[in-house]
Amino acid sequence: MDKQIETAMKRGRAYWFADGFTELLGGIFLILISSIIFLRGIAGHAAFLPQFTSIAVDIGIVKLAAFLAILMVIWWLKDRFTYPRTGVVQGKRIMPGVILTLIRNVFLVVILPVLGLLAAFVFLPSLRSILASIPAWLPILVGVMWGVLFYVSGEWMGLRRFRIMGGLTLLAGLAVGLWQALIGFPNLAAEALQADWLQPMPEALRAPLDEILSRLFVGMSVLCTATGVFLIIAGLLTFLHYRRENPAPYREEL
Amino acid sequence: MTGQLRGLSELDRVIHEPARLLLVALLSSVESADFLFLLKESRLTKGNLSVHLSRLEEAGYLTVKKTFRGKIPHTEYRLTTKGRTAFDAYREQLGNIMVVKKTKG
Repeated sequence: MDKQIETAMKRGRAYWFADGFTELLGGIFLILISSIIFLRGIAGHAAFLPQFTSIAVDIGIVKLAAFLAILMVIWWLKDRFTYPRTGVVQGKRIMPGVILTLIRNVFLVVILPVLGLLAAFVFLPSLRSILASIPAWLPILVGVMWGVLFYVSGEWMGLRRFRIMGGLTLLAGLAVGLWQALIGFPNLAAEALQADWLQPMPEALRAPLDEILSRLFVGMSVLCTATGVFLIIAGLLTFLHYRRENPAPYREEL
Repeated sequence: MTGQLRGLSELDRVIHEPARLLLVALLSSVESADFLFLLKESRLTKGNLSVHLSRLEEAGYLTVKKTFRGKIPHTEYRLTTKGRTAFDAYREQLGNIMVVKKTKG
């Protein structure tokens, strides 16, 4: 019986995703981000660090603008399509304590790998190999993080498609990492690490760094595109199912 | 009366009714939901749903807010703190009964 109660509770939690709009627009958002990563990644730049920061700024601006635009579109769509068919549900308000726990967990999830990486940079002798292999391990790390996030959300809301998406995203991250590892990593000269990354470098030092950067961005772009495509397919199927189940708006008798 | 039977008799009867239990479970995971959502999810008739919601309102387990969305009447339901506490207590009692049943069986 408790299982049935839990199922009913999950129906309420998952209602935001009942129509598929969030996944559809989220997928489009990811593909937009992946295009920016790809285009900026393959575009050449005089110095390593400015190129990196300019891409981060681009993604930040697009992320913020697109996120707000998509949120408005989702609300508009729900107001005109979903709410008249299956009703309005207001999600549970998040209490300050929950927000703090969430921030702490996100902080730990984000900060721990960074700290681990910093420790590796400090204690491991082969800083160059860590840097050179970034096109392989970063997509794996991101794929695992997104995969876990999707899977946990799927468990919490009782949505099988989210659990499947978690598995697919994880596999996509592993595939991209493996693909980059199989190509092999460029040989980074020791002098490149001592060079000023804000200034243009000699060609011999810059070429391997350029290769690392462009391969990293291509890999991340492939991962984002794959995740975006999974989301769009899931959203489309959910939307079609929802429309078939609820063909016309419901009217309460006056 | 055995402990297990006493536990059964102590269950909250307002929530224990299957349709009302479903409604409370649905409302417990959200801030508020409207009549249409509860109607679609519970698959009850409109009359039946209204009766059960009124019963929960009488018990002080939920509040009702009537507004208009454009020209369409919109009724929103929200579990009260009393309702949430009662639901949590009901689940705990039910869990205890199941544990007793498992250990005896």
